Amino acid sequence: MIDPRGSVVARRLSGIARVVGFCSAKGGVGKTTCTAVAGVVLVRQGARVGILDLDLQGASTHILLGVEPRMPEEDRGIVPLTVEARLTLMSAAVFAGNRGLALRGPEVSDALLEMLAITQWGTLDYLLIDMPPGIGEEVLDLARLIPRIQAVVVSTPAAISVAVVERLLGVLKEMRVSVPGLIANAVRGSAETVRELAMRAGVPYAGEIPYDDGLEAATGSPESLAGTEVARAMEESLGRIRFT
Amino acid sequence: MHEWALADSVIEATSAALGERPPASLRSVIVVIGELQAIDREIFDFALKTLLEERPFAHAVYTLETEPATFLCTSCGAEWGLRDTRGLTDEAREAIHFLPEVGHAFIRCPACGSPDYRVKNGRGVHIKSISVDEGGAGV
Repeated sequence: MIDPRGSVVARRLSGIARVVGFCSAKGGVGKTTCTAVAGVVLVRQGARVGILDLDLQGASTHILLGVEPRMPEEDRGIVPLTVEARLTLMSAAVFAGNRGLALRGPEVSDALLEMLAITQWGTLDYLLIDMPPGIGEEVLDLARLIPRIQAVVVSTPAAISVAVVERLLGVLKEMRVSVPGLIANAVRGSAETVRELAMRAGVPYAGEIPYDDGLEAATGSPESLAGTEVARAMEESLGRIRFT
Repeated sequence: MHEWALADSVIEATSAALGERPPASLRSVIVVIGELQAIDREIFDFALKTLLEERPFAHAVYTLETEPATFLCTSCGAEWGLRDTRGLTDEAREAIHFLPEVGHAFIRCPACGSPDYRVKNGRGVHIKSISVDEGGAGV
């Protein structure tokens, strides 16, 4: 048996200049927030951006961006949902809505491969991928299917986050996945632990995103997200990251 | 239609499997279509034929086979078929058509009600065999 889907992934992504996964081995550090806010910031800099939510069991990017799940249009594949001008989104939530998906490993691999094989992104400056926590199927499969993928790694300054993220950075290095930036997120005080982690791991430190009480109120509106303290700090971080 | 994207992947995979062999050596391809994904065979077949016209192995015969979808419950061990699944709405069927794993949001084990099962057969599209002219060998 031959699974034909992997053979078209590179072509489906051929119109995309940069594929960037927002990763962390730790849950709850703000990958989804960073992905969504990076998207609205880059769009406001004039870029064309697609966001792929690969957190199949915890898909929530659509909630942050205020996108109501609905069946996508078809055009020789499926067309991502439009969030706002120059910003599109694809997510398992488009199909499952708010229902839970009880998926085991091989099914996770199948689902992400299907989404990569049938989504027609068109021409983009960035495809930002919101990754689930951990070093599981999504990270391993994407590194195999999209060799040019770059990983922006997210950690909070908390000791347990730094420890777990350090393991992820080690695996990414072994898999030869480029890490153009490590972001300290949800920072309330010092982010020195994350800065030190970047030095130890030999990856660029991309700066810190403060914990922002105003974020919750901005949920559901790209325009409001773009006006948050998180967005301002993300703009600075993105300015430091040298995407290849 | 997203059948086009899947047909495109079948042709691309055929090309990759041929490798360095001459395109003229390709005789036939058997494509299995899983029942769960509910691919529109007519559209898929039309897409295959249309996309093949742009390829140097347009002469090859593509045969479509349907594989019934069966499920195996991880919780209680029950096995059942898609036809035994009751109450799937049109919305659920459409969602599963796009992404078969979304079936886990809508289909439950008929014996114990668990969402923890695996699709044993008939998930989606794959290539069963590729035959080429080199002493009757297949890929």
